Amino acid sequence: MGGPRRMMEQETSKPKQTGVTLARLAQYFRPYTLALIVVAILIIASTWTQVTAPQLIGQSVDCYLMPAAAERLTAGAPASMSFLQGGGSAGASTNCTYTTVNPTVTAEENIAGLGGLILRVLGLYIGGALVSGLMFYMMTWAGQRVLRSLRVEVFRHLHRLSLTYYAENEAGSVMSRITNDTETIAQAISFTLVNVLSGALLLVWIVIKMVQLSLPYALLSMVVLPAMLVATFWFSAQARKAFRQTRLEIGRVNADLQESISGVREVQAFGREEANIESFRESNAANRDANIRAVSFTAALAPTLEALGYVAIAIVTAAGGLALLRGTDLFGTVMSLGLMVTFLAYVQRFNQPIQQISVMWANIQSAIAGAERIFGLLDTQPDVVDRPDAVAMPTIQGRVVFDRVGASYRPGIPVLHDVSFEVQPGQTTAIVGPTGAGKTTIINLIPRFYDVAEGSVRIDGKDVRDVTRATLRKQIGIVLQDTFLFSDTVINNIRFGRPEASDDEVRQAAELAHADEFIRRLPQGYDTVLGEHGAGLSQGQRQLVAIARAALANPRILILDEATSSVDTRTERQIQKALDLLLKGRTSFVIAHRLSTIRNADQVLVMRDGQIVERGKHDELLVRKGAYYELYMSQFRAEETVEVAGNGHKPGGVPALAAG
Amino acid sequence: MAGLGRAIRYLGRYKRAVLLAYASLLVSTGAMLMVPQLVQNIIDSVTNGLIASRLSAVPTAFLPQALELLGWTAEKFARYQDGAESALLWAGGLIVVFAAIRGAFAFSQNYMSEKLSQSAAFDFRNELYARIQRLSFSYHDKTQTGQLMIRATDDVEKVRLFIGQGLLMAAQALVMLTATLIILTFTNPRLMLVILPVLPLALVMFMVFGAIAQPLFTRVQVKLSALNTVLQENLAGIKVVKAFVREPEQQARFERSADDLMGQQITVARLFSFLFPLVFLIANLGQAAVYYFGGQQIIQGTLTFGEWQKFSLYLVYVFFPLGMLGMIITQMSQAAASAKRVFEILDTQSEVRDKPGAQPLGNLEGRVAFEKVTFRYFGGGEPVLADVDFDIQPGQTVALLGATGSGKSTIINLIPRFYDPSAGRVLVDGQDVRDIQLDSLRSQIGIVLQDTTLFSGTIRDNIAFGRPDASLEDVVEAAKAAAAHDFILSFPEGYDTKVGERGTTVSGGQKQRIAIARALLMDPRILILDDSTSSVDVVTEAAIQKALQRLMQGRTSFVIAQRISTVRTADLVLVLDRGRIAARGTHDQLMDESPIYAEIYSSQLLEDAPGEASLEGAAEAVPLAGVR
Repeated sequence: MGGPRRMMEQETSKPKQTGVTLARLAQYFRPYTLALIVVAILIIASTWTQVTAPQLIGQSVDCYLMPAAAERLTAGAPASMSFLQGGGSAGASTNCTYTTVNPTVTAEENIAGLGGLILRVLGLYIGGALVSGLMFYMMTWAGQRVLRSLRVEVFRHLHRLSLTYYAENEAGSVMSRITNDTETIAQAISFTLVNVLSGALLLVWIVIKMVQLSLPYALLSMVVLPAMLVATFWFSAQARKAFRQTRLEIGRVNADLQESISGVREVQAFGREEANIESFRESNAANRDANIRAVSFTAALAPTLEALGYVAIAIVTAAGGLALLRGTDLFGTVMSLGLMVTFLAYVQRFNQPIQQISVMWANIQSAIAGAERIFGLLDTQPDVVDRPDAVAMPTIQGRVVFDRVGASYRPGIPVLHDVSFEVQPGQTTAIVGPTGAGKTTIINLIPRFYDVAEGSVRIDGKDVRDVTRATLRKQIGIVLQDTFLFSDTVINNIRFGRPEASDDEVRQAAELAHADEFIRRLPQGYDTVLGEHGAGLSQGQRQLVAIARAALANPRILILDEATSSVDTRTERQIQKALDLLLKGRTSFVIAHRLSTIRNADQVLVMRDGQIVERGKHDELLVRKGAYYELYMSQFRAEETVEVAGNGHKPGGVPALAAG
Repeated sequence: MAGLGRAIRYLGRYKRAVLLAYASLLVSTGAMLMVPQLVQNIIDSVTNGLIASRLSAVPTAFLPQALELLGWTAEKFARYQDGAESALLWAGGLIVVFAAIRGAFAFSQNYMSEKLSQSAAFDFRNELYARIQRLSFSYHDKTQTGQLMIRATDDVEKVRLFIGQGLLMAAQALVMLTATLIILTFTNPRLMLVILPVLPLALVMFMVFGAIAQPLFTRVQVKLSALNTVLQENLAGIKVVKAFVREPEQQARFERSADDLMGQQITVARLFSFLFPLVFLIANLGQAAVYYFGGQQIIQGTLTFGEWQKFSLYLVYVFFPLGMLGMIITQMSQAAASAKRVFEILDTQSEVRDKPGAQPLGNLEGRVAFEKVTFRYFGGGEPVLADVDFDIQPGQTVALLGATGSGKSTIINLIPRFYDPSAGRVLVDGQDVRDIQLDSLRSQIGIVLQDTTLFSGTIRDNIAFGRPDASLEDVVEAAKAAAAHDFILSFPEGYDTKVGERGTTVSGGQKQRIAIARALLMDPRILILDDSTSSVDVVTEAAIQKALQRLMQGRTSFVIAQRISTVRTADLVLVLDRGRIAARGTHDQLMDESPIYAEIYSSQLLEDAPGEASLEGAAEAVPLAGVR
């Protein structure tokens, strides 16, 4: 009962190139051709059992029951009533093809004959059960394997795609598209397809059988069929439309809930409880009404089909009965009770396949559309690929050169223009500037997350496009502002930087990052499993883990996006210390937000609108009173107060670090 | 199960719909049950008519003898002879009539059951929502958003399906089953006995089916979400994966998950491809038994063709409700568990509620005092605050300083009475906050936290969050004071720009300024804020600082201080250490007297310790910037 409704509730979409997509999907099934052939044979076999059983039951009437009933009438009658015998079962015997009717058989013989026939029916039932079980299993077996290879292929492709793709497509929407599409495909290839195929086959077969037995009787029985089809397609179309509305409404209800639960503290702080309760009531009511409306269509469909089915039963029995009573034939067909019984069973089998096909057809279409989108994704070419003649990057010394570099994420909209600079091994470069100035683009070009549009990025004199990405990136460490941790143990998250590292090495890296102390205090220490996105750790702690991760990788070049979000003072200080240690002796690029970092840098690049507007050391730049001076004034005004005041407390400790 | 009973009582609010639903059920089931009977009538009138027509050829002398043989009376014979056709047509016509009745009432039954269940779900959600909105912070501290979401969505849905549809279907199944069994027994008890043993077998099968299927599906869901987690992490962390060149490991990880999921799916398929056909087979076995044993009786003359067909048709009405009952029984145990979880929330009392005689708070002056306040989370464990005492005069600024977990946020949460202290009193203008009506207290306190939630709606709605009736002028005024006006106007739709879910993305710094505007609009006497700024560019940071300074002017302010500048200008600095006030005083006093303060102060200094050279220039720069 819930089945059709659940299917109609789902989002549906129409494919654009059904043929091409199906052909491509079929490629995935190629390794399982044999299984599919078997499934096809099983479908035919299972349908055959369903068509044959009612026919056999009809034969039981015509070959055993009717003759026996007639026999009983005559057997008990005195000889004087022999007239009863003659045409006694004239009408019935003509339709018996199962066996030759011998009018002199005894009741026992008849029962035995009937038993044999029912045994055959039983055999059909059991065979049908076996066949349909096997069919379902084989289809799922093959379908799930296809689905697995499709999933793996998509996943690998996601890794292959360059960051340009992720800049244009939000991770969340890529995610939901992939999961939804594979889910609809999964449904379609596991059971929907088999159901639709066998349903359609059953319908056609029944029609053919009926026509073979009697064309006029068949036509009479099928009078309701068009009405059933029209009703089914109309109601499902309406229901789908209405359910689209319910999806919107329940989305609103959930968004409303989500928002006011996660923001409950603000709601209470500003005394908005009552107003919120009132507005929730409205979206909640809209959801209720949309659902009731949508269900009114599905609620109408089943009863309509059922009623039409009863009408078909009435037609079959009444027409057949009239012909039998009058002793006439039905437009040229000799009527018999057995034929009536067979037709009665056939018309009862109309309902199910029609409903199945109508409901599942749209789902198959959605699956094809889903496959189309998945293939579209697979066809997206990555922008950044290794050149065929790319060589492995030798051990990096750390000299980085940007030579008249231009870059743009989208053609025509440059984010970097004519950027040139040179960094010597071991130097620290601070990049400053307002949001959108191109700071992040610069650091993305070094590990070749993107390719330059003009100019070149060279490391130790080698263009990054001439070396393989894997060997390049392995020597570059990155600590991002928005630390990403996997839902795995802490130790595995650190080891992400170098999977082959020993436990001791991991611990040393953690110590260097000042993370060892708090990790030991976690419930399971290094084996504590972090929640989604590293939940369970504070932001500062997550940064320390990320620093440990980068430290373990022991990169030659380090890229650092300084976190701006505030953590408590203690952690802040630890992060700072850890970073200072990490930067030592490596070529580093820092998107700087802290004054200390900028002061200690060997070179400061001031970015504005995709260009370097000033460069030099902090002191020189300050004296110049240009762009950096302005930036400095607005940013560090508050901090300066502090520095002046705190000057006396710990002087001199830090400049030593700056030398490193 | 008690929860389920209580859930069912919610239907009492919709008596008319309940009545209609169950009345429709009776009519539609009754109409449906008539059909096989009518089919029997048709077939029997055909066979009887046939025999009668043959008998009419019998010489009148032999007729009584023949009738006796058949067990017919003369009237019966006359009826069969003349009335067969009309009886048949009547029965056929009646089938159509009952089909129409069945269709109409089955629709009304389905419709009503949906209406009922949706109405009950509507009530559940409203009550849950209202309860969740009113529960105090201490409840929300121990409950995750996701958990509450599941209560309000999945659990409500399960309860809804059961009390709306499940119950009705169970009733229908029972009516159908008993009626059919009675009819069948009266039709032919011997044949009835043949199919009787199949029934419990079928019921057990259906229940086993339900019991086995549910956990299997759950396991599939678990594997699927494991797979999706890998996918999701790799999408969100694609840069990290690429940067550390971890693609091969992640691909192997994904393949393992994909294999796991596939294996589980195939396990499910194996069981289903065994169970599904088996269930159908059992129903078919019943049919075969009827065909054979019924046929035997026809041959022996104890059953008519019509009855035989009727049996076969009614058999469907025996197996169908059995299947339904099996399904509903498994559904019931889940619904009961869900109902229990829903009522758990509905029965939770907020720890913070208005006292029966709570008075509204008049216009606040802004004096805030803590008297020996101690606070423990969830009423136990180490105190988060211990014996905290202070008295703040109207208009003063208090800076709270201390490490994470030292009790800073607890202090600020106690003032608007988000929690109640475990011991001691919190006084506002000399009144215990527990004696004041919550609304009147909170409406005079403004809060700006670092982690701001924006609600879906326009920017204007968000600024007017605490005062929905505020005019646009007031909103703009507040936004200007909060340095938010300019960036708001830079959006295409200005103040009507939609934010939050499905709206424009607002950066962290912009959010913070909206939050400041929101607090300014409330014109509160007491202000609570966190002076840190989240990821913003340098110009913005300065603007936010300025806005905050403006906000604090002339109000009693409690600031969780991250900046030394705040500490230096505060009227009172409270240094907290593990729930106690370790030191108090002005910055200058504390610098002289408190080593802890000096330690915290200098530790903050350390991170920004400048090279000596640039310091001079910076010191000069300050007054300059102030002038601008």
